[in-house]
Amino acid sequence: MDTDRYLEPDTAPTQLTQEYLMEESLEPGLHSTSPWRDSFRRFLRDKRAVGALVLLAIFILASLFLLPIYEHIGPVISERHGFVHIGPAKYHSPTYVDNLVENAPASSLHWLGTNYAGQDIFARLLAGIQVSLFVAVIVVGVMDVGLGIIFGVLAGYYGGILDTLLARFTDLIFAFPGLLFAVLVTGLFRQAALDRFGNDGPLYLVAITLGLTIWPQMARYVRGQTLSLKEQQFIEASRTIGTSSNQIILRHILPNILSLIFVAATLDISGTIINEGVLSLIGLGVQAPGSSLGLMIQESLANIPYFPMEAILPSLTLTIIVLAFSFIGDGLRDAFDPRSKD
Amino acid sequence: MLRFFLRRLIGLLFVVIGVTFVTYAMGYLAPNQDPIAALLGQHNTPQAYATLKHEYGLDKPWYIQYGTFLLNLAHGNLGLSYRYPGQSVNDFIGPAIAISIQLGLSALILALVLGIPSGIIAALRANTWVDTSLMSVMLFFYAVPAFVIIPFYQVLIDILVANNLPTLPVQGWSEGLTYKIVPVVILALTSMGYFARISRTVMLEVLRQDYVRTARSKGLSERRVIYLHAFRNALLPLLSVIGPSLAFLVSGAFVIEDLFNIPGVGGAAIQAVANRDWPVLQGTVVVLAVAVVIMNIVVDILYSVADPRIRIQ
Repeated sequence: MDTDRYLEPDTAPTQLTQEYLMEESLEPGLHSTSPWRDSFRRFLRDKRAVGALVLLAIFILASLFLLPIYEHIGPVISERHGFVHIGPAKYHSPTYVDNLVENAPASSLHWLGTNYAGQDIFARLLAGIQVSLFVAVIVVGVMDVGLGIIFGVLAGYYGGILDTLLARFTDLIFAFPGLLFAVLVTGLFRQAALDRFGNDGPLYLVAITLGLTIWPQMARYVRGQTLSLKEQQFIEASRTIGTSSNQIILRHILPNILSLIFVAATLDISGTIINEGVLSLIGLGVQAPGSSLGLMIQESLANIPYFPMEAILPSLTLTIIVLAFSFIGDGLRDAFDPRSKD
Repeated sequence: MLRFFLRRLIGLLFVVIGVTFVTYAMGYLAPNQDPIAALLGQHNTPQAYATLKHEYGLDKPWYIQYGTFLLNLAHGNLGLSYRYPGQSVNDFIGPAIAISIQLGLSALILALVLGIPSGIIAALRANTWVDTSLMSVMLFFYAVPAFVIIPFYQVLIDILVANNLPTLPVQGWSEGLTYKIVPVVILALTSMGYFARISRTVMLEVLRQDYVRTARSKGLSERRVIYLHAFRNALLPLLSVIGPSLAFLVSGAFVIEDLFNIPGVGGAAIQAVANRDWPVLQGTVVVLAVAVVIMNIVVDILYSVADPRIRIQ
């Protein structure tokens, strides 16, 4: 008798649902808002985070769209007694070296002046932001979040050998504090990367190395969250009615940890951009004449007494980017979990 | 207590083996390098090549090489330099260790001394202008890396010099105490921001506890409540975040030792990369990793002394 009731539900709940829906439609002002919408609203109230987001958006758009435009602005100029004619596509290129205009001040030709090798600083700043963003996307967007979610959720949900392997690998990576592993690997394989992939090789190497060291921490975090979610009643209920593990992971676990991953990833971006800067600064990252904010700082240090702006501009740009990601990360955390604020 | 200590020591052993193995494997796998040919230069004859290769042990299979490396390491010998014939890695790293320890420990202590009180003050004045401004400054130092602060500092020094104002030196370490101030302060900034942010969170957590309410309700003065009941309990979890914060010090040390010309371990590592002197690079990696693990063990032991509950786990 009892089983029949489960197979053929009586009509009462359906009626109730209909009544409920009618009530909803009668009073549109009483719609309950989704948690994501609530968080979004809370985020918008955080002036510091919204300001950082706007500033960051300007930087990103400028680096992506202003650089190609900048390479078309400016007259064709004659150099070396009129033997050489170059257009803005050349002298506004972030990599073009011109010994005739070393350390030039800001002018209509070079908006922020040129550096020790006569390269246009404005173009190099924009290209440097591109490099920071590229590293952030590959390291955090692809490796940190991608591998972190896959291995973290699987290890947390299924446990077993995958969990053990993840734990051991994490221990191994954690044994190298800070940038140690990245310094080792980029130092040893830098020449090979240069030979194989040309001037951009070291950048790829830096991205892969930083990604390799960053994801285990995310995976461990995701694993912990998955473990605690797995014990919750709604997951148990879902399993009782025969939902497959795939469905539970995709429909119940992932949506519930996504906001936490979002916050952690935003904060990881700051660290990753800093680490790329450090590696470029100590000569293990981007190769000159390529551009990176860290490399620009390194190149400018010797000339600080004479051309302080060459050091201040990339430092300031990096400071703003890193702080912006930190503010956004803090804002997101407060928005997703208002209790964490104090 | 002894069992706890032994367990941590065995953990240290595994870390050393893991770190040395990865370090060794990376050096073994790294392409286009023939240290022997580079060392011999124009004196490269097949005879000399074979002799030197044997001397460096590179004619043996990799597991023998790694075994020898571990065995030498157990004796405190990190191997031979690829760049400077006749010099051992110890010659490079030995003097550097003392300097790096001095730099790292001073920075850590400074970060603790400045960071924890700021966090606690912010927590006691939570959501006032004191809290907001203090935490904004700390977030700035936590988020902005040392290598960005150094250029600003150097610009400042140039302005001071131009106006005949007293300055602090920008290069060097062993020349005197004044040379040490700036590197230590800049290295401490990131950790200071970190400690301040954590201490604020911890202190707020403690202030919400029942025993604080009890202390208040039995009529203790606010000062006694804070110093005797809240502060001491807040210090405990702070001990446990010292370990993770050491990574900041190591990363910072590379930049600061490089830019301030400090002959420490981080500076030696960067020099080794420039010289393609892989044994020295491997040596620095092993030394830094082991140093951090030892610091972690020291912190753990301090923690277990301060909070006996931890030993049972």
